[in-house]
Amino acid sequence: MPRQVLEDTLTADSIGADTALAASGDPSAFERLYRSHVARVHSLVRRMLDADEADDVTQDVFIRAWQKLATFRGESAFGTWLHRLAVNVVLARRKNVGVERGRFITDDEPLDGVTGRRETPELSLDFEEALARLPEGARQVFVLHDVEGYRHDEIARMLGVVPGTSKSQLHHARMALRRHLDR
Amino acid sequence: MNDQWTNRLSEYIDGELDNEERIALEAHLATCGSCYATLAELRQVVARAQSLEDSSPPADLWPEIRARMTPAHGAGVGRRGADRSRRFSFSVPQLLAASIVLALLSAGGMWIGLRSTKPTVTADQNVTSPPSDYTLASAGRWRTSTDAAVTELEEALARNQGQLDTATVRVLRQNLAVIDRAIGQAQRALKRDPGSNYLNLHLANTMRQKIELLRRANALATGQS
Repeated sequence: MPRQVLEDTLTADSIGADTALAASGDPSAFERLYRSHVARVHSLVRRMLDADEADDVTQDVFIRAWQKLATFRGESAFGTWLHRLAVNVVLARRKNVGVERGRFITDDEPLDGVTGRRETPELSLDFEEALARLPEGARQVFVLHDVEGYRHDEIARMLGVVPGTSKSQLHHARMALRRHLDR
Repeated sequence: MNDQWTNRLSEYIDGELDNEERIALEAHLATCGSCYATLAELRQVVARAQSLEDSSPPADLWPEIRARMTPAHGAGVGRRGADRSRRFSFSVPQLLAASIVLALLSAGGMWIGLRSTKPTVTADQNVTSPPSDYTLASAGRWRTSTDAAVTELEEALARNQGQLDTATVRVLRQNLAVIDRAIGQAQRALKRDPGSNYLNLHLANTMRQKIELLRRANALATGQS
């Protein structure tokens, strides 16, 4: 068995064991799950919402996961289940704070204040900054589709819009990011 | 550059055009340098998005999460916990109301702190109504039962606070801390002046505010509001 495959198998086994232990009420096992998944959850939340909400909402995601572990039946990987849970918490938060649904980008003005493209290791940071300046609706579709890999029909269901709106938002987001990165 | 095909480029990248449209777009790309360049840039955006790296939060969030993980909400208790997984937040009007209460309490605490002499209650002082059966003679008995109620509500909130979101829990704790400070101030003032009608009434009303806040928080957390 190749080393990487072996490591992946052991990691999956470890997460599976910790998931079972946590589901039986073991906080230490749940902490290990937290440690191995917090970066992904926090990054998702930070990209979908404002950065200053990311810590609070990430905590809410893990509290909710602890509460709902009994409903996790192992039909998908724990990480996939947790990730979907995080998306639901983010979208509920979005609804809770009354964020307007399905806004379109009419121009790329929100990106004007961000510095231009640099072919350096800081490129990723610039991209994240540009992403954070997208209007809410376009940003969430872009993150869900291009970063997280959801399909338009899934995104449309989650956001309560038609798939055509999701496609249009995505294209506008990509065009805005492209133009910003072009400078 | 912004021709009829430009808005279809993302669908082309994602393989969402039907065969006829795809062939037509590819024919257009062969003759339109602008769309061809835009397509390349959009592909670069998609590739960049897929290569973003995840990063951990600057601060360790685990201690706060652990503090809110009560056994009653753990998966080991079965489906009941999961069925009660709805989470609640105070609304903006509720938070505003809490702020007003805190402002009044703070003003009361400051008033007590500034009063070095025995206060005199007059008819026009803006003091909230005492309990209907409250008298100076019954203050000790009332306070004992109130303390028991507060303890019971605090224990209930410790069990239920997992149903409240993080921001709400933080505001709730801040509010309770301010109320506790006001209670402490009133109790210290009463030690110096046990016979003060005003101070006894103020303490009683502050305790009632605390009980009301705890009741409200528990009702929100258990979905009874």
